[in-house]
Amino acid sequence: ATDWNASVWGKRRAFTEHVEKIAELVSEKTDGEFTINVSYGGLSKNRENLDGISIGAFEMAQFCAGYHPDKNRAITVLELPFLGVSNLEEEVAVSKAVYDHPAVAEEMAQWNAKMLMTSPMPQYNLVGTGDPRTTLEDFDGMRVRATGGLGKAFEAVGAVPTSVTSSEAYNAMESGVVDTVAFAQHAHLSFGTINKADWWTANLNPGTVNCPVVVNIDAYDALSDEEREALDSSVDEALDHYLANYGELLKKWDSILEEKGVEKVEFSDDVIAEFKEKAADPAREAWIKEMEAQGIPGQELYDLVMETLEKERASN
Amino acid sequence: MDPIEIGLWVSAGMMVMVILGMRVAFAAAMAGLVGLIWIFWAKKGMEWDQLGWALTVAIKTAGQVPHSKVSSQTLSLIPTFILIGFLAYYAGLTKALFEAAKRWIAWVPGGLAVSTVFATAGFAAVSGASVATAAVFARIAIPEMLKIGYNKQFAAGVVAAGGTLASLIPPSAILVIYAIIVEQDVGKLLLAGFIPGAFSAVVYAILIVGIAMIWKNVGPPVGGFTWRERFASLPAALPIVAVVVIIIFFVYNPFGDAWGTPTEGGAVGAFIVFCMAVFRGMRLAELKDALLETAKLTVMIFTIIWGVLIYVRFLGFADLPGAFADWISSLETSPMLILICILLAYAVLGMFMDAIGMLLLTLPVVYPAVMALNGGEMVSAADSAFGMSGPMCAIWFGILVVKMAEFCLITPPIGLNCFVVAGVRPDLSVQDVFRGVMPFFVADGVTIALLVAFPQIVLWLPSLAG
Amino acid sequence: MAGSSAVLEDSSLLSRLDRGLLKLETIFALVSGIAVFMLMVLAVWSVGGRKFFSTPLAGYVDWIEAAMPFIAIMGIAYTQRMGGHVRMDIVIGQLKGRALWAAELLSVVLILLLMLALTWGAWAHFDRSFDMTKPLWSRDSSIDIGLPIWPSKLVVPLAFGVICLRLVLQIWGYGRALVLGLERPVAVPLVQSAAEQAMAEAEHLDGRD
Ligand code: NA
Ligand code: NA
Repeated sequence: ATDWNASVWGKRRAFTEHVEKIAELVSEKTDGEFTINVSYGGLSKNRENLDGISIGAFEMAQFCAGYHPDKNRAITVLELPFLGVSNLEEEVAVSKAVYDHPAVAEEMAQWNAKMLMTSPMPQYNLVGTGDPRTTLEDFDGMRVRATGGLGKAFEAVGAVPTSVTSSEAYNAMESGVVDTVAFAQHAHLSFGTINKADWWTANLNPGTVNCPVVVNIDAYDALSDEEREALDSSVDEALDHYLANYGELLKKWDSILEEKGVEKVEFSDDVIAEFKEKAADPAREAWIKEMEAQGIPGQELYDLVMETLEKERASN
Repeated sequence: MDPIEIGLWVSAGMMVMVILGMRVAFAAAMAGLVGLIWIFWAKKGMEWDQLGWALTVAIKTAGQVPHSKVSSQTLSLIPTFILIGFLAYYAGLTKALFEAAKRWIAWVPGGLAVSTVFATAGFAAVSGASVATAAVFARIAIPEMLKIGYNKQFAAGVVAAGGTLASLIPPSAILVIYAIIVEQDVGKLLLAGFIPGAFSAVVYAILIVGIAMIWKNVGPPVGGFTWRERFASLPAALPIVAVVVIIIFFVYNPFGDAWGTPTEGGAVGAFIVFCMAVFRGMRLAELKDALLETAKLTVMIFTIIWGVLIYVRFLGFADLPGAFADWISSLETSPMLILICILLAYAVLGMFMDAIGMLLLTLPVVYPAVMALNGGEMVSAADSAFGMSGPMCAIWFGILVVKMAEFCLITPPIGLNCFVVAGVRPDLSVQDVFRGVMPFFVADGVTIALLVAFPQIVLWLPSLAG
Repeated sequence: MAGSSAVLEDSSLLSRLDRGLLKLETIFALVSGIAVFMLMVLAVWSVGGRKFFSTPLAGYVDWIEAAMPFIAIMGIAYTQRMGGHVRMDIVIGQLKGRALWAAELLSVVLILLLMLALTWGAWAHFDRSFDMTKPLWSRDSSIDIGLPIWPSKLVVPLAFGVICLRLVLQIWGYGRALVLGLERPVAVPLVQSAAEQAMAEAEHLDGRD
């Protein structure tokens, strides 16, 4: 029998459903010979899941690229602002393409890790207090809780990214330390920021975070052929389950907004185009330059994302 | 051997090491490391050629914990609170507080004793540590009480008991530690301590007035202060008010204006006390002394924190807390009875152990069990065993446990506050202080019973904060 | 619950080494204390900047997290020298003479084994975040402003290295006391009764109120 530990964090939620599902599928397919035990924060701090994989303390883990860009430079391409990813299926497709790129595989191998699947997240839209902000000028001086590439994007239009942890986001909003918070919908719900909100940016779609699930290479290699087959063949099924589950949540989102009296703010195409020009283009160029300087094929990775997006759209 | 069995053996081994006098932090870390080695090795079937692998993985896993766990913004409250306490001595806040309390409330029966209780409560609002509070007031308040003919045992008891208020009334290092271990909102927990702390002070005061009215010689009232004198005593005590106001503003902004997080509130409070100390003529050498003392106390607390968290990391791999919670919630006994047994167990343990060490060692296992008892972390008030939601239960249990730990500071055989008071006063033996503090056992018993019976006392303020 | 304890001194090599190491430990502890002070200043700056000048301090949380290992760990050897790490002395406080020194010796030997292992583990933790070929030598960075994390990770094995030296001296001290059957050995913290401790605590507070 093979017993794996999977290190995730927080509580069981939409964001961890594919890990739960893959554990269930693998056990089913091997008649309980191969089990994966999902631990919520018991095995490691979320920002050190890659360290744990590298040590060999557990066999599977989830992490987010933006938590520690220097540990995973190559995949931060997926966190660039305004990539144009518009739904979870596209997010799955671009992540898969990037994860399969040799530069990513090589960087992960330094952590003794192999990419298994992504945890697709919708665009991080803002909830805010006070009067809705509908133009770029309104963003000037806005205290926004947004990390990584997203924070930089808002900074480019005069906002002030203010660091608080996700669990302090509610308090920070209540105490006025920040007046807007960027999260995916499930996080606005589970961290309660939606309860403080007066408005929500329905179509700003500034970008998202990328959170892969990885496995330890030694443990993966030590699996029997049957076990490896059971694991590999369950990835797509687990992701389908994740997408279906998140889809339900998104369906309910509008009624939640209504119930809490949160105004939906729609931006005009002009405003979004202007934002993109100010925030996305310089950020992308800077990112590519920085990556190329370190011998990571930044341009190639970015192009790969764009090509995959086009292909994905053409096929639908 | 299955992981839970390993968990039990290692936990038992840790208790033995602690009882035999190994430094708590290192005993916990040792238990955690040995446990990790054991569990990784067991995973590889205890083959001899796998022992090296298990050792390496365990040591590297344990070696992450100190850096990983102390790098926390929330934990930065602890050194800040400790620094506030040390700076407060230099700022002369203690004397000023006692003087103000005396002029305003000493006219009641048992007047100076009541003043002492309220002055310690006030000092508690800047000090995070009980023992330091008792030491300071033993030097200021006891001589004044003895001068006007107080029973000396009683005077000592008042100070020893009053000192315990520091850990409930925010800022409180011990409440922050509780919040970290159980991963609850620090702000709400600090807020929750406020009313039970003030409530304890009021219960102490009522007890003193009652005693003074029955036995006239215990503590006569002190009158004769003019209103001018009363108001004159206030400015020197003002920084306390400022710090309290700041902390209230940062924890729960009453006017909806932007201030900051509790962490920042603590630091701004420390800064005000620091300015006060500089204004009162603190020298560089004294500052250096205060910083060294702060460092020593901080490191002591943090070493226990990461030591215990290595043990907790091992527990995560062994899943012992889950198993214990399952066992507790499978018992047929009523949840309230189990909770009371747990509190009584803390009372006994607290007689022999330091409060912070005791909480850190036991909470990783006991806390999930209590939450399971109530119906789970996410339970609603309607479905719960104690009539409160999961997060509220976490706050309530935290305050109960901290009050219990404080109670143990004045119980024999090693109630530390009593030793400190006796240490400061050469004319008092430890037995004298224990005898004098006895009535306060009753007061604390009443307080704890009321907090158990009426959780609203604890939960009203934090529930306002959303 | 032993807090501080007394450490005796004389002119022996052991005692001179003890005092020499104490100087290093004191510097480390002072760094820790100064870092606490800076933490306070940083918060005032952050709040003031946000509240009054609308210019919040960028990466406030990242800076605090980077400072915490200095605050929480650098003084570990100083605290061990002073006997400041808490323990239950209800059993060990009853022991006298050689039995006491044997118990103390066993305890510090175990702690040394533990700390050697943790020094290695903490070094490995640092080593994973450090890469000379990368910009700022960084292979692990903070969440908001991308601060390299290796400097604060390096603090841990450094401080642990110093406490290992301290433990070696204490093994020497207790071992010598055990072999020679000493009453009051130098260079090791001596067990104090609760009353003695309280007295020391009270003296410490003298002149402060
Ligand atoms: Na306090
Ligand atoms: Na005495």
